[in-house]
Amino acid sequence: MNNLDSNLNIGRITQVIGSTFDAEFPEGHLPAIYNAVKIEQELPSISVKLTGEVQQHLTGGRVRCVALGSTDGLVRGMQCVDTGAPVSVPVGNNTLGRVFNLLGEPIDRMGPVEAAEYRPIHRDPPSVADLETKSTIFETGIKVIDLLTPFVRGGKAGLFGGAGLGKTVIIQELIARIASAHGGASVFAGVGERTREGNDLWREMKEAKIGSSDRSVLEQTTMVFGQMNEPPGARLRVALSALTMAEYFRDNLGTDVLLFVDNIFRFSQAGSEVSALLGRMPSAVGYQPTLASEMGALQERIASTNKGAITSVQAVYVPADDPTDPAPATAFGQLDAFVYLERSISAKGIYPAVDPLASSSRILDPQYVGQEHYDCARRVQTMLQKYRELQDIIAILGVDELGEEDKLVVHRARRIERFLSQPFLVAEVFIGKPGEITPIKDTIRSFNEICDGKWDHLPEQAFMYVGSVEQAAEQAEKMKAQSKRK
Amino acid sequence: MAKARALDKRRKSITNIRKITRTMELVSTAQFRRAMERAVAVDSYTKRLVRLVGDLVASGLATDAPLLEPREKKERAVLLILTANRGMCGGYNSGVLRAALARLTQLQEQFQNVELYVSGSRGLSYLKYRKFQIDQFYGQFDHKPTFDDVNLIANQFLTRYAKGEIDRLEVAYAKFVSISKQYPTVEPLLPLADMTKPAEEQQAEHCPALGYEFLPSPQDVLEEIVPNAFRLKLFKTFLDAAVCEQIARMMAMKAATDNADQMISLLTTEYNRARQSQITNEIIEVVSGASAVQ
Repeated sequence: MNNLDSNLNIGRITQVIGSTFDAEFPEGHLPAIYNAVKIEQELPSISVKLTGEVQQHLTGGRVRCVALGSTDGLVRGMQCVDTGAPVSVPVGNNTLGRVFNLLGEPIDRMGPVEAAEYRPIHRDPPSVADLETKSTIFETGIKVIDLLTPFVRGGKAGLFGGAGLGKTVIIQELIARIASAHGGASVFAGVGERTREGNDLWREMKEAKIGSSDRSVLEQTTMVFGQMNEPPGARLRVALSALTMAEYFRDNLGTDVLLFVDNIFRFSQAGSEVSALLGRMPSAVGYQPTLASEMGALQERIASTNKGAITSVQAVYVPADDPTDPAPATAFGQLDAFVYLERSISAKGIYPAVDPLASSSRILDPQYVGQEHYDCARRVQTMLQKYRELQDIIAILGVDELGEEDKLVVHRARRIERFLSQPFLVAEVFIGKPGEITPIKDTIRSFNEICDGKWDHLPEQAFMYVGSVEQAAEQAEKMKAQSKRK
Repeated sequence: MAKARALDKRRKSITNIRKITRTMELVSTAQFRRAMERAVAVDSYTKRLVRLVGDLVASGLATDAPLLEPREKKERAVLLILTANRGMCGGYNSGVLRAALARLTQLQEQFQNVELYVSGSRGLSYLKYRKFQIDQFYGQFDHKPTFDDVNLIANQFLTRYAKGEIDRLEVAYAKFVSISKQYPTVEPLLPLADMTKPAEEQQAEHCPALGYEFLPSPQDVLEEIVPNAFRLKLFKTFLDAAVCEQIARMMAMKAATDNADQMISLLTTEYNRARQSQITNEIIEVVSGASAVQ
């Protein structure tokens, strides 16, 4: 870039604070808010190549920017150039199969991307009139999700959970299940999680095939990473970059797009990291005062329009297992399906550790899923709720003190609890069981039969990690045969 | 705050449960003493009487008592199950019921008809739930069964047995051996011969020669003594059941109180922690807010 080009709007850095910096521009030529500002300079010891995003206009021709990369080597007095537009990323079919950073630069060492079009990452959400209003169920083949928190086609689903409960595993499982069966494009945004996980995912997608064809899943997927090694500015904007690419598939190609985000909490966290540096007063629990509007601006863009649909699955980290924490609480309101992972369930060795009572879905309603599905889900929840209420009494007085009805409820609830577990495709190497894809029909029938008491005679352990209830019966036979041999 | 308040609420409800279990523990301790005294008092008398019957039978002086003879006819048997009227006694009821039901299936194989007599509403609700037909129910026996009450039932059995309406009577109850040993068991009471067998062996070992003189005649004595032995034996099962129930309740309530204590201390810790972190959080917010303004 030629910094001496007279057409360029050039400024000078006046202050660097952590991952934010101030720059001074000639009065009357201030870069607009959200404009990208570039700094490129070769120093003897370090090569500085940084993009910043204008956040505030201060007095006296100064702007305050968030650095979208490392500020190492940045020095007061350096020249910076206003690019005249927000950060723009390549969009279109050529982005498929590639891995990007938030600036839209490929990071997979497979050469430059020839994109016909670049789009700014800051855009308006689709207008109310354009929004799609249909609600149909999106089948995943995971029993607990299909039954209790059915995902919406073209809707948003959130996986909430504390550290180490398996959010990323579920996301990867969903990619393996959905993306491989899905015809359209998929976009994966890695926001502030482990770089290693992104690498694993890329390799897995390369190996996985779409349906029965020999094309790999990766060919239909665009990945954008801004992992936890990146400065907060990068983690704050990477979700938008991925979303912009997904939006293009929706609006211009009219296809159904899958958008996976892992982890949306890191977006809020990055916002909170830069917020104080930008001079905003911290709000509840130290989060930025603009938490809700930031989240809203992102989530509102993840929408299905009459042109195409974006179905999105987002992992949401829950700090200290406290769902009332402002960050997850803000994300919660935006979602159609809400899957809550619970530590006490994972402690029992039941995976996916979905809390069947805390999780919910907007379309768990007879109007959308049908009366039979709805009744079955409510039945299961009622039984588990009753069991949970009885747990204190059992802990104090023992099972013997329960009435006959209650004993039966406990008996079946314990089986249901275990039956909610399921072997995953991606966990095959760990548990030594092939993944199970259970059709909704089988799921509903199985749970109804357990509630009816048809399988009361099977031992609890038989219900662990099976697909339909018939497999539980098979497993019980196997267990019997095994214990006899001993 | 939501979490701390929920924890506090739960702690309060457990404190209330603990109050109940603790009271039950104290009450059952008191009742157990009294029940045990009664059982022990009757015990030696019963033993002596049963032995006397055994002696009589063994002596061969009088064999003409219908109660003592095993019956060939196997038409109708009665299984009397003694359970508690109240719960809160751990595995007491389920233990007795399990033993009773196991025996019931055996009896049903041997006899054409088996009638179920149940004492205690716990057993009643258990069996009703499992759709058993219950022919007679007694709810009047609690921690202090009286001889008069038991006698009424005993007389019914005696008349029916004499008439040949029933051919066998067995009682399922919790047998009291000592404070640390009780177990659920099923014992045959009619015909009495079954009952006297162990006494017979005992007697044969300890006093081989008989030193009895029967007046006015062995037959008269037998007619008087055998029904009484049965009544007393039946009474003893009720007394044993009452003692065992109190022991079971005492232990169950002790365990429950301990469990509740444990849970309360756990919840208290958790509550304190939640409250503390909430306070810390609020201070941080105020302080960082204030310093951001400066």
